[in-house]
Amino acid sequence: MTFSGKLGAGLGLAGFIVLFGLLGPLLTGDPATIRDVGLTAPGGEHLLGTTLTGQDVLAQLAHATRGSLWIGVLVGVMATVLSGIFGIAGAYAGGVVDEAFSLFSNVMLVIPGLPLVIVVAGFVPADRRGTWTIALVLAITGWAAAARVLRAQTLSLRNRDYVAAARVSGERTWRVICVEILPNLLPVLASQFVFAVVLAILSEAGLSFLGLGAANSSTLGTMLYYAQNGFALQREAWWWFVPPGLVIALFGGALALINFSIDEIVNPRLRDRARRERDVVAIDAEIAPAEPGAVLTVRNLNVVYQAATPVHAVKDVSLTLRRGEILGLAGESGCGKTTLAYAINRLHRPPAEVTSGSVRFSDVDVLALGPEKLREFRWVKLSMVFQGAMNSLNPVTPIRAQLQDVLRTHRPDMSTLDRNARCAEVLRLVGVDPVRLGAYPHELSGGMRQRVMIAMALLLDPQVMIMDEPTTALDVLVQREILNEIKRLRDELGFAVIFITHDLPLLLELSDRIAVMRDGEVVEHATAEEIYLRPQHPYTRQLLASFPSLTGEAGALTR
Amino acid sequence: MTTLEVRDLTKSFRKLRAVDGVSFTLTAGRTVALVGASGSGKSTVARMIAHLVRPTSGEILLAGPDGEPVPRRAYRDHVQMIFQDPFASLNPFHTVEHHLARPLRLHGHSRADTAAEVIRLLERVSLTPDFARRRPHELSGGQRQRVAIARALAPGAKVIVADEPVSMLDVSIRLGVLKLLSRLQQEENLAVLYITHDLATARHFSDEVLVMHQGRIVERGPADEVLVRPADPYTRRLAAAAPRPEARFGPGGLT
Repeated sequence: MTFSGKLGAGLGLAGFIVLFGLLGPLLTGDPATIRDVGLTAPGGEHLLGTTLTGQDVLAQLAHATRGSLWIGVLVGVMATVLSGIFGIAGAYAGGVVDEAFSLFSNVMLVIPGLPLVIVVAGFVPADRRGTWTIALVLAITGWAAAARVLRAQTLSLRNRDYVAAARVSGERTWRVICVEILPNLLPVLASQFVFAVVLAILSEAGLSFLGLGAANSSTLGTMLYYAQNGFALQREAWWWFVPPGLVIALFGGALALINFSIDEIVNPRLRDRARRERDVVAIDAEIAPAEPGAVLTVRNLNVVYQAATPVHAVKDVSLTLRRGEILGLAGESGCGKTTLAYAINRLHRPPAEVTSGSVRFSDVDVLALGPEKLREFRWVKLSMVFQGAMNSLNPVTPIRAQLQDVLRTHRPDMSTLDRNARCAEVLRLVGVDPVRLGAYPHELSGGMRQRVMIAMALLLDPQVMIMDEPTTALDVLVQREILNEIKRLRDELGFAVIFITHDLPLLLELSDRIAVMRDGEVVEHATAEEIYLRPQHPYTRQLLASFPSLTGEAGALTR
Repeated sequence: MTTLEVRDLTKSFRKLRAVDGVSFTLTAGRTVALVGASGSGKSTVARMIAHLVRPTSGEILLAGPDGEPVPRRAYRDHVQMIFQDPFASLNPFHTVEHHLARPLRLHGHSRADTAAEVIRLLERVSLTPDFARRRPHELSGGQRQRVAIARALAPGAKVIVADEPVSMLDVSIRLGVLKLLSRLQQEENLAVLYITHDLATARHFSDEVLVMHQGRIVERGPADEVLVRPADPYTRRLAAAAPRPEARFGPGGLT
């Protein structure tokens, strides 16, 4: 956990106010003592001056802070418990219980809180309106939104395998909820507790100010109420109403800061947003001449993630892709293969940075392209099928619209008729009936969606296609179809492919040449035949040995 | 000998019959591979055997070491499951020790000997005792899956359902995990159901193979027979779909 400035400031401020509320009343004497020094300005004996009836404002402030904090904590605890019961327990139980709890929370949510509080508070006779009554009313009207958030979180958590694993090991339901699920909700619960406290203090202040607060209690709200009744504003007795207002504002601000920090801890992406603003491309001025026949040449490319400890994700990688060739890029998770693909396409985002090297497309220096030229280059010359791409189709528009968007962006002059014709044509190319243009992504199978993604990459007749694990999520039968499709399209259309996967046997069958990557380096780069028959690097051999052959002997796999 | 018999197991989700009349027997010391493409219903079979999903019809009969039927509440002492995704099957909030100590405590170990037993479990899956203090995010995929295997062994279960135990792991460590499973199976005389879509490992790591397609078992028999000389057209398609570099270049250079 990083101790950010926000968290420090928030905790410091809140801590100071809490301390003031706890210890202040012990040091400041009786706030109710009436003296004949009404409306004295701050200074001397009365540090914050006196009220109309000569009571010490500082003493009142200390007691009022204590009262408000007490209400805040009471409501915070009660609202959190209520939202936990209705949100977490309901979602975990599922079925009718979940439906009922969820319906109840939704009803509570649409009941406007403050008006109800006013009605309820007004309904209870003033002499029976204690702190607990007010706290209860605020808690009952304030828990529903939190319950909905908790329900959504729990619904996703309860389907995690570790929850299933706990059930398989024989854990009882209450333990699964308390030990396996609840801890993972702590950040959410903490932030909701903090929010409930702030809301309670503000609502109570509002109620008291309206004269509907707890009887005989002393809170920041009642202080403001008396200041208002004593015409503090008209009498310019600012020391009477500014301090309570300020304490409310500062405490709210402090808790908001704490809440922001909790969000940052839960969602680390918020943390380095500041760093993400710039997109620097450093390039070597010198660019090696391209090999004849080469369509894409990568020379000594280095990509570094500029984190607190920089990570050198791609180290001195050189690759040559020839026209019409399938180049396999083999490697395991974290070897830098996807980072490399992104850098070739200039899709890498800070903190990733190309520190040196060159990427050359025919005779274009890709790393030196300006934004406009880059837009013309991407997808038109070089397209990409992303990892898990079949799940990146927009679920709410038919695939026709998604294909046409690409054409509309890159070929604005194309007529609607031509656009439709082209979309139908690419679908036919990848073996999907153009009737499916009107289909929504969920109406297509995984293999079909992947074909659509490949069709989208084909739309603009690119010379190079980078495919990042395009078949990993598919089963073997569908994978076989897609591979055959890629080979056929390559033969028909003559584009070159960089095919990225961890599946070396697949590459051995599909590609012309193979580069094996490990820890950011290309450890071996040779024809598929060479890699298969005479692997040089120990890691290549290890990878090859990792795939038992279906028909061959068990070899190294003897059980 | 502990045996688990599945008789005419069926599971319907609304109109879809995910599992349709599946029967097989798991016996001690043998591995049965259940292979099939995604959506064939094999994971649903696993979840029904692990009592995570209630079957629509059919029976799961478990006989203990004495041959007597095991009462329902003792079921989990005997049958455990290894999940596919080791990144999801360990609770990020808890240490490795928690993951192993809980099943031990639930299945009769006293607080006193739990700590020693956790260390013994870690050693059985080739992890050092200092792993006990670590949390899942400090572990690699392979190490996590070893912890998951240790967790399944903790109650002293004799029937293990392994649902695609290596498909989410990096290829270079898959065999190590499979060999570990295989070694433990032999040492402890476990009955293992190995669920996978990878025919090659199914062949080399199991005694019997069941091929599942659209909820039904379409072919079954000894591993070598079913996968090298498949009779069913679907099994043939599956076998033919796997990448085979040897078809392109002849037998490989690795000996």
